[in-house]
Amino acid sequence: MPGMDDLTSRLYFAGIDIGSTMSKATIVDADGKMLAYVVGPTGAQHRLRANKVMEDTLSKAGVPLSDIAYIVSTGYGRVNVPFADKQITELTCHARGVAALFPDVKTAIDIGGQDAKVLKIKNGRLVDFLTNDKCAAGTGRFLEVAAETLGLDLNEMGNISLQTDTPVKINSLCTIFAQQEIISRLSTGEPLPDILAGVYIAIATRVVKLARQLKVEVPVVFTGGVAKNAGMVKAMETVLGVPVLIPEEPLITGALGAAILARDEAFKLVQRGEYQAHREKKLTEARVDFGEKAK
Amino acid sequence: MVIATTKGLSKAHEIYADRGQRVRELRKAGKKIIGYICLYPPIEIISALGMVPFRVFGDMSEPITAADKVSTTVVCPFLRSIIDLGLKGKFNFLDGIVGAHTCDIGMTLVISWRDYVKDAPFSHLIDVPHTDHDPAVDYFEGQINSFKRHLEELAGEKLSDDKLKKACELHNKQRKLVRELYDLRKSDPPLLTSVENIEVLVAVFSLPVDEGNELLEDVIKEVRERKVKPVKKKARLLVWGPVFDNTSLYELIESVDANVVVDDTCVGTRAFWADVKAPYNLHALAKRYLVDIKCPRTYRDSAHHELERNYDKDLDSRFNYIKKAIADWKVNGAILQSVKYCDTHGYEVPNLRHYLDTLGIPSIYIEHDYSERSLAPIKTRVEAFLETLG
Repeated sequence: MPGMDDLTSRLYFAGIDIGSTMSKATIVDADGKMLAYVVGPTGAQHRLRANKVMEDTLSKAGVPLSDIAYIVSTGYGRVNVPFADKQITELTCHARGVAALFPDVKTAIDIGGQDAKVLKIKNGRLVDFLTNDKCAAGTGRFLEVAAETLGLDLNEMGNISLQTDTPVKINSLCTIFAQQEIISRLSTGEPLPDILAGVYIAIATRVVKLARQLKVEVPVVFTGGVAKNAGMVKAMETVLGVPVLIPEEPLITGALGAAILARDEAFKLVQRGEYQAHREKKLTEARVDFGEKAK
Repeated sequence: MVIATTKGLSKAHEIYADRGQRVRELRKAGKKIIGYICLYPPIEIISALGMVPFRVFGDMSEPITAADKVSTTVVCPFLRSIIDLGLKGKFNFLDGIVGAHTCDIGMTLVISWRDYVKDAPFSHLIDVPHTDHDPAVDYFEGQINSFKRHLEELAGEKLSDDKLKKACELHNKQRKLVRELYDLRKSDPPLLTSVENIEVLVAVFSLPVDEGNELLEDVIKEVRERKVKPVKKKARLLVWGPVFDNTSLYELIESVDANVVVDDTCVGTRAFWADVKAPYNLHALAKRYLVDIKCPRTYRDSAHHELERNYDKDLDSRFNYIKKAIADWKVNGAILQSVKYCDTHGYEVPNLRHYLDTLGIPSIYIEHDYSERSLAPIKTRVEAFLETLG
């Protein structure tokens, strides 16, 4: 019968979040305290070796794989992580990760590379959610397209947008039409900061519309790669009408939640006497197939 | 021949995979096949006049390419798929089509069909009122009467009371058998999967009524006797929404920790829950279709004769049949699905979710564009929904 003793030598837990754009991994200890995290691109050539991000996290934390008691994978690529013990959706993992950092959180807004999600959280648990994952409008991709059109770097774009309080109104939320609109605004001589601020407002409006369907309650936490952008944060607060809290590293809440859920799951299994302590674990190649038919 | 040798679930599976196989044979033998769209054309009249009613569905795996010539892209992709298949000659076994003003695009489809799909010369449009009040029922009865006269011309014979009675009894029997089929999913685990259920029902919609009844009897017997059963899962779900004539959504849901045990969709319960009541005449048909089919295309408020509207009474008047299904099938969660651009169902969602909240039933709303490929991102939402069930 395995018991708590089986976990004494393996008191670490890992979460890996394979997103459409970035892969993230974290390691926590038995108290759920984070020891290390690593963020790396998921991009085409990296898709076949998402295990790299796991390896890097292990070495950063100074923990051998054999000391990891349980691994949860999440994100679009979660089904293809062969070394994970369990898969949990990014919605549940994000909610758990955000609640670990901000225990009172009621609403979380996450804007990723190709989707946006709104989570309602009660006592640290996900209770309701909405996602926009059918279209690039209102996601990080929208910002990338705008940056490409203007020949700017994403951070630079955020800072320039902060120089104005009079954003232009971008009417189209479609990524392609908005790109045309930006060009035509430029040609009519609108100031660049006003246009950029308008782009952020357009994205925030789109996502807040989603959030309002679930009723926005404070505290609101804003996560995902897009939350790193100063222009985006300002626009989000303007449109929401309330301040937003941002984690130190807004990209890793999903992976952190996955690691904490890994810990919870392992403890649960031990209690039930179902924990398999001496399983061989290897960091085999994680194959990530996007757009695969759900079957 | 395949059809003659298989029966029960495997026969249902075969017909599901090639829906036209039996009616093509019947047509060769001289039978007339009448396609019908949505649930509102009274199929008893088709059967009573010696023809075969064939429920027209779309095809989620066939990209819509031909329909752009005759429709815009921002309308119901299910109905677009039907006209697309019609234009491509995939319904060339039909002698005609009958549709109804279930929704605006549903009506437009019949007109487009008449104008552009040449291989089924007969077409008829039935106007359907949008409330279930008494004058609406009378008007609808008149509409059924003109459909009857039109179809009598095609049949070359008059509809007799006796033939109508016989057809009503056969279709009522079919409804009773389908309800028995659904009873098999009341246990935990259910005895039938929702994927099997959809295959059986789609097959029933593709057969003459007596052959459909025979299939149902075989399936029910087979399922009761078989040793291998579906497995017990965490969630017992109800699926709500417009037409879903394909197993893909149910496969997706049952690939995770959930069984779909009952539905409120027009390929499922909505089509079979209400009987035609005796005496079997056109008025009885009008009542059965307009009042007793519970589809959001007909608005049923509680205040027929009251001036003041009461929101809670209204909700109960519209949705209490769902409450009953939740209790009878021990449902612990609901998936509301709709096809993109369906205003009829879209407007219903906030009210229905509120009603389910008051019953303590968690729900999720998902929208798809009637293509198998578009379902992949939905899987994450369904899984996350199950995770919130705890």
